[in-house]
Amino acid sequence: MKYLFLALSSFLAITAQMIAGNNFFIFNFLDLSLILVSYYAVYRSRTQALFVGSLTGLLLDAAMGWPLGYNGFGRTLAAFIIGLSWKRLNTRESWVRFAIIAGASLASSASMLILFWIMQRAAGRLFIGASILQALVTSFITVVLFTAMETYRHNQANKSH
Amino acid sequence: MPSNLSSRKNRERAAAVFIPLLFFQLALLSFQIQNPAGVTPIKMLVLAIQAPIVNVSSALSNNIGTLWSRYVWLVGARAENEQLREAVRQLTRLNLSYEQVRLENIRLNRLLAMKEGIPYATVGARVIARTPGFLSNVLYINRGSRDGVEIDAPVICADGIIGRTVLVAPDQSQVQLITNPDASIGVMMENTRTLGVLSGSGSSLLDLKYVSNTEQIHPGDVVLSSGFDTIFPKGFKVGEVVDCRKGEGVFYQIRVEPAVDFYHIEEVSVILTKH
Repeated sequence: MKYLFLALSSFLAITAQMIAGNNFFIFNFLDLSLILVSYYAVYRSRTQALFVGSLTGLLLDAAMGWPLGYNGFGRTLAAFIIGLSWKRLNTRESWVRFAIIAGASLASSASMLILFWIMQRAAGRLFIGASILQALVTSFITVVLFTAMETYRHNQANKSH
Repeated sequence: MPSNLSSRKNRERAAAVFIPLLFFQLALLSFQIQNPAGVTPIKMLVLAIQAPIVNVSSALSNNIGTLWSRYVWLVGARAENEQLREAVRQLTRLNLSYEQVRLENIRLNRLLAMKEGIPYATVGARVIARTPGFLSNVLYINRGSRDGVEIDAPVICADGIIGRTVLVAPDQSQVQLITNPDASIGVMMENTRTLGVLSGSGSSLLDLKYVSNTEQIHPGDVVLSSGFDTIFPKGFKVGEVVDCRKGEGVFYQIRVEPAVDFYHIEEVSVILTKH
């Protein structure tokens, strides 16, 4: 049941991004699936994050019309990096959070570039530029969302005391 | 101590899941080299599940936009001055919406004129979604197998060739744009009739390959579909040469700008039969 919910949330994230991307240009640079992966890696378990990362990647590949596996590989790697780094670094600092998510996003794109190169598939400079912009926008929004969510939880906890 | 143990256990479990998942993704990619159509059922399933949500949301976003612009803004207008100001805004918005209708009318007229000029059965379609990511190179249209659309059906607009359908659900199709790195079209130069193969490069420009550097090619030359790929009919505009250099081998390195503005397409035509 838990994994069914993870699958459903992954599917909804990709579908929401497709719809939003068609209506608002900024959503082409905001990676909702990476936000979801980050959420699971930070607030749930790393295993769940890996599952969500792998599945959102596959769904993204299917939605983008790419061979399945490119985004799947990248997202799984991103989930692992976020889960690993979040526990080991001082994530009370916003810039550290930003760096972890941006780093994971860039590592995901870099792994895909390597796969493109191995599979002799054209990527182009646009991919690199768009990946960097996407990493920056997504990391910024994720940090803001996580901070807002933690502040809300903290306030609720204070009220109950 | 128990928390250390539990943390270690979690770490080990994550690593035990991580490595097989990575290998699974790599195995999936390798499998598709030998058998590209092997994962089509999975993609079809995703498309079929997404189709109703995307269709409904596309219709909803249009209706909500209309509702918002026509009614919701009027709620809360109390004073006459406020009402008058609102009326002015309302008229401006209406004017804008009429302008949108006018522009849509122009686009549809162009599409209709093009449709009448081609000897194939076509069906008009609306773009309802783009893929997530800037480098999407894929569009979704609101026509599918119920409308007679088949896999590999050419998708065109008044400006030229857009791409071909790669996945077809009953009410929706996925269109691979010609800018997609997996897309190629057989083409010819309009003036010299020189043949070549145009491939997507993942960027906004296309690569024209296998054109001998003894040919006369210049920036501004128009590139048309040759029909030799058996997917796209002959004679449709694909783009214009923007850069042409002599390569190291016997072929030119040619960059072509697509004739179609892929980021602003709203209505397209799908060619149903090429006979």
